Amino acid sequence: MIIAVSGKGGVGKTLVSSLLIKKLSKTGKDVLAIDADPDSNLPEALGVDVDRTVGDVREELKKDTTQGRIPPGMNKWDILDYKIMESVIETPQFDLLVMGRPEGSGCYCAVNNMLRKIIENLSDNYDIIVIDTEAGLEHLSRRTTQNVDVMLVVTDNSKRGILTAHRIGELAAELDIRFKDLYLILNRVQPEMEKEFIKRAEETGLEIVGIVHEDDEVALYDMDGKPLVELPNDSNTVKAVSGILTSILKD
Amino acid sequence: MFEDITVDVSPMHEGERIRSANMFVELAGPKSIGAELVQVEDNVEDGKLEVIGPELQDMQEGDIHPLGIMIKIQGEKLERELEGVIERRTHELCNYVKGFMHLNQRDQIWCRVSKEAMEAGFKLKDLAKALSILFKEEYSIIEAISITIMTGEDQVKEFVEKTRVTYEQRDARARELSDEDVDVFYGCVMCQSFAPTHVCVVTPDRTALCGAINWFDCRAAAKMDPEGPIFEIVKGEVLDEVKGEYQNINEMVAERSQGTFDTVYLHSVFGYPHTSCGCFEAVAFYVPELDGIGIVDRDFRGETPLGIPFSSMAGQCSGGKQVEGFSGLSMEYMRSPKFLQADGGYERVIWLPKEIKESLAEYIPDELKDKISTEEDGGSIKEILKFLQEHEHPIMERMKQSLEEVEETPVEEEEAMEYSEMDMEAVSMAPVAYAPELTVPTAGGVKIIFKNAKVYAEKVIIKRK
Repeated sequence: MIIAVSGKGGVGKTLVSSLLIKKLSKTGKDVLAIDADPDSNLPEALGVDVDRTVGDVREELKKDTTQGRIPPGMNKWDILDYKIMESVIETPQFDLLVMGRPEGSGCYCAVNNMLRKIIENLSDNYDIIVIDTEAGLEHLSRRTTQNVDVMLVVTDNSKRGILTAHRIGELAAELDIRFKDLYLILNRVQPEMEKEFIKRAEETGLEIVGIVHEDDEVALYDMDGKPLVELPNDSNTVKAVSGILTSILKD
Repeated sequence: MFEDITVDVSPMHEGERIRSANMFVELAGPKSIGAELVQVEDNVEDGKLEVIGPELQDMQEGDIHPLGIMIKIQGEKLERELEGVIERRTHELCNYVKGFMHLNQRDQIWCRVSKEAMEAGFKLKDLAKALSILFKEEYSIIEAISITIMTGEDQVKEFVEKTRVTYEQRDARARELSDEDVDVFYGCVMCQSFAPTHVCVVTPDRTALCGAINWFDCRAAAKMDPEGPIFEIVKGEVLDEVKGEYQNINEMVAERSQGTFDTVYLHSVFGYPHTSCGCFEAVAFYVPELDGIGIVDRDFRGETPLGIPFSSMAGQCSGGKQVEGFSGLSMEYMRSPKFLQADGGYERVIWLPKEIKESLAEYIPDELKDKISTEEDGGSIKEILKFLQEHEHPIMERMKQSLEEVEETPVEEEEAMEYSEMDMEAVSMAPVAYAPELTVPTAGGVKIIFKNAKVYAEKVIIKRK
């Protein structure tokens, strides 16, 4: 099962992703987290260090190829496969693959073609995959999320956040990408604005699967750069995301 | 067949990965050493399977150990040349074993054994057993096989050293592989999404323009993904060995370019050069004033002797076009012994960015190294000409010869005059426009097309109407 978390930049995708991963890793299932946002901080939220990203591996292979450093008897697929496995950050609870920096100039067709297959193959080995997508709509038009089962769109109460959520729904339909489920999550909800926020969010046509309230504790963790997975189990935010996961897995 | 092996052995387990959380031990890989080797030998004791060093049962959970896999084979039809190909199968065949992960090849292998396999009583001896059966099944020419698996530090270290010598010998042979040695070339249309008429032809002497895939990669890709964008081209009839023209390539290019092109020369920028995608690593371009060829790579930001940077040049000849005088190419192709051989190879090259010139030091013939100019020797045609004259570039001989030839025939004398006049003019005039093809609108049902046109002017006036 593949769950993707999307939305405008800064609405709390990483918060939702990291807490979903925390909860999922307690189920005893093999969990792979994919950080697909070049500008994200999922590793920090999960409290793990990253040495090397897929982007770094891609550049390394390209450089080695251009400079003629790959022996003719070696197969590039296998080399890339090895390097990708090497860049997976393995913890007892979950594994993490960080996509990292975007491509430089030059041709990436061949290497991306190989990467797609290799990551697909790698992903087949896990029970559940959680993708923290890049902000915006690119992942849809590039079809990197087309095999996703559950698409979670996160928004805060800003007009632009809701608009992005709306567009994600529209674009998925336009591109004929059929997620099994497409849900909306409202984040940083302030009680006094809750009613109005829900009303506006409902206009996107997306089903609201959960509400995460404004949480000083989360803000404090963010300010100190503390891993969000270390939030206590009785935190309202942790409970809200757990509830969301239960609803998703119920179907 | 695999009755006495306690885990399942089947192709369905290919691609199995073992997470560190589910792993019993890791063998070889980034934190240890390891290698595998297939060797054709005489007097192989068929069915001899050995594990030297600790067996899995002697290891602790979470351990990392070295791993060596030595496979000796014998058979009447087996040749040493086949060792590499057969060795490549080790990866897939090891992965048939459930609970055993195997990545990569040679001295870069990485293996893991799952806790589950361990609980089922799996041993490295079983791996050797499975491999011995699978290899014989796969290659009927293997008459005898013996396998030794090593896990002791010193022994594996020694083994890895030994394998490296063999790999180097094999690579040296592979580097020597040329277009004449093979019966199959490959075509690649991966770029057709944005260059719909581009067909890349990959041969041992010519890698794809993007530099990302060589003949060996294509062979692997065509096998792994037969319906994919990379396909076989049976070499067939050679029409021109020097230019690199083949009947079957012409036909394939015609078919895959939807009839846009029907002739391609693999080793020339003249006549019918290879089409260019958009992702080539460099472009070779003809400089008519000097009758030489310049090359510019993607990373070079300055202007080329044609007065335009890489990006503009790439824009003019990419998208699957075949433009005479231009050819997209890979860095690796510049290391090929057939590099633009129909045009004279490096003897025809007059300009290169300094950085590539340095990186190609081993491949540019010694006597030409100091004769090819770079951006540091000046960017204009005049400056390059001066450099070429001073350094006695073979192109000067060529120019002289062609001038002498035309001087002998009075009709063409004018042309020769024009040539030198233009040369002079190029000095004081600035290049205004450059186009591989320029059509001038005219009346009367006539069309004037300039090929490789360069417009020079003394003064350019831009006026608001």
